[in-house]
Amino acid sequence: MSVLAPIICDNGTGYSKVGFAGNSDPSFVFPTAIATKGSASSSSNAPAIPSKPGHLASKRGVEDLDFFIGDEALANAKTPGYGVHYPIRHGMIDNWDHMERYWEQTIFKYLRAEPEDHYFLLTEPPLNAPENREQTAEIFFESFNIKGLYIAVQAVLALAASWSSNRVTDRTLTGTVIDSGDGVTHVIPCAEGYVIGSAIKHIPIAGRDISQFVLNLMRERGEMATVPPEDQLRVASKVKENYSYVCQDIVKEFRKYDADPYKHFERYEGEHSVTGRKYAVDVGYERFLAPEIFFNPEIYSSDFLTPLPEIVDEVIKQSPIDVRRGLYKNIVLSGGSTMFQHFGQRLKRDLKQLVDRRLDASVLASGSVQKSSGVEVDVISHKRQRYAVWYGGSLLASLPEFYTSCHTKAQYDEIGPSICRRYQIFGSAT
Amino acid sequence: MILLEPHNVIIQTTLADKILKPSSVDVQFVDYDGVRFHLSTTPERKTLLLLSMHIRCWDELVQYGALDVLRREYGSLLQPQSEPDYNVSLAIDLEQLPASNEDRESFIMSVALFKRNALAAPFEHAFTSQKGLDSAGAGTGDLMQIHYRDEEAIYIQASHDRVTVIFSTVFRDETDRIYGKVFLQEFVDARRQPSIQTAPQVLYSNRDPPLEIRHLPNLRNTDDTGYVTFVLFPRHFTNPATASATISHIQLFRDYLHYHIKCSKAYMHSRMRHRVAEFQKVLNRAKTEVATTEKKTASGRTLVSR
Repeated sequence: MSVLAPIICDNGTGYSKVGFAGNSDPSFVFPTAIATKGSASSSSNAPAIPSKPGHLASKRGVEDLDFFIGDEALANAKTPGYGVHYPIRHGMIDNWDHMERYWEQTIFKYLRAEPEDHYFLLTEPPLNAPENREQTAEIFFESFNIKGLYIAVQAVLALAASWSSNRVTDRTLTGTVIDSGDGVTHVIPCAEGYVIGSAIKHIPIAGRDISQFVLNLMRERGEMATVPPEDQLRVASKVKENYSYVCQDIVKEFRKYDADPYKHFERYEGEHSVTGRKYAVDVGYERFLAPEIFFNPEIYSSDFLTPLPEIVDEVIKQSPIDVRRGLYKNIVLSGGSTMFQHFGQRLKRDLKQLVDRRLDASVLASGSVQKSSGVEVDVISHKRQRYAVWYGGSLLASLPEFYTSCHTKAQYDEIGPSICRRYQIFGSAT
Repeated sequence: MILLEPHNVIIQTTLADKILKPSSVDVQFVDYDGVRFHLSTTPERKTLLLLSMHIRCWDELVQYGALDVLRREYGSLLQPQSEPDYNVSLAIDLEQLPASNEDRESFIMSVALFKRNALAAPFEHAFTSQKGLDSAGAGTGDLMQIHYRDEEAIYIQASHDRVTVIFSTVFRDETDRIYGKVFLQEFVDARRQPSIQTAPQVLYSNRDPPLEIRHLPNLRNTDDTGYVTFVLFPRHFTNPATASATISHIQLFRDYLHYHIKCSKAYMHSRMRHRVAEFQKVLNRAKTEVATTEKKTASGRTLVSR
């Protein structure tokens, strides 16, 4: 094998997922954080300037090599002299200096790969500016001399990841992606591998809000009294991850719990991180109420009140008419906050109701003359949902066509960074 | 991070994970110099891990005693038959691990040093043959060649008072070549400092191969090749602990060099970005003020801008 596996690098706002193509899980998942010398809020962030005479080693220090990334960065956050920075804000790269060094250490310390021997697949958020793509290409081709680069849109990779589900028969890149991570939830329509930018919608409810909501519920019930304050949010997010599910009917679910609390209440046991004291909390209604904030946001927030199914419906209605059927038929989930049990079924049911009601109304309006053949609504959940974007990248980069869609170092040297403004979509007929 | 670490982080973290919670796994990953790894479990048993390595110069390494070194390090873990497509395999049974936590950690570390140990063989071979030659008083050992990359190689030769290690390196990029030249020149210069007099001697030559290997056929004498020579004296390898540290460091020399070239570029880029931002501030100060004259229509009404 002359070509080594391409490297997939999915840098998100909260976490970076990096690994090699062909694997089913990323090799590393760590926070996109970098701890550098100098406080996080220092006003002058100019890099150190070399002083004049002597050898290079004495001319300047090695401050630019003195930094940590990922989990080590957070562990060193309290070390005097270090400040933690998050180089990515809202999915876009904010601080290129930090990001360049972050990549440097990702490649050399964690992946232990010689970048000159590898192709890279990077991801970008929808509506990323082409200038950002150029900057990224500059760093990868000029600093790291990589062999070839492909920059893919996260939503498209999430669609590709859904091919692993056995319910998907045709490998299409048309569909609606619901990407819910820690900070924000996006609903992104894609047609034939292209994102329909004008119809994208964001929902300010995601993983962090669900944890907070669970915490509020448990505090109100008085469960959190035994839990040390610094551990409370962590306990809440553990409860969310391990015990929560989506119910089909809240009222029935409440009745079920009240009739037989011993059967449905769970017990979470934890240990104080410093003193080692044990504590336990009862986990009750929050099991089904936590993910309910997607479907009834009014129980958590007073400024955002539109349920997720309605948002999805609106997004699809704003898309061009000829792709709408494809968008309804292929709704794909991605990200950690869509991992709740039965999330897909509930979304499908609610959305189907919305669509059917509208169809019935139009039948009535036409005086029962015109009748629609019905719209197929399907939500696809699969096993790789948590790191769906990374997995989609791994899947695509292990195809032989990947190398022809990449821009190589030679092409970059010939044309310049502007070559990376456009990328060929996989599977498109060109 | 100034020095690169000798161990593979993926092996380390995956093993530590699997010891805590055995589950089926099938991953492929790489290490420097085109080394490929494959870590997998058998479908029948989740606790039996098979770690295979493919290394380009395996035949040469075997010739210099790599199997003996690996057998010494890993004992019965080493499989007689390696996985197809790979050169050498280790079988790790998670049920038969050292009991105490410390032993476990050192076991994980030793597995993570798989590549380092395989590549250590020729160096150890050279160190022992130096000892033999030293008692003889004169002569040189055979020149060992390890073609660890497509176009680059390590040459190791023992003689009665030293071991010479020569790296040939190719810079594919014009900029890299210049950085590399400056960097390697600094390597030579830095040794003149009084604080590091005990460090091995470093020589750098561009294009022309050093005398030790000049007689070899098929050397590339193009502008983009460079040769770095390290002269190791007995004080660098008589003590076993020092010897193993020396091997760990010198093996990664090429990657170290390329890593630092990349870091220097990143540093330069950050200076450039900073400078551009400063210039932009100056330009912004030079902007003319927007004229704020009141505009009126013919009928005398004012136009209000929103």
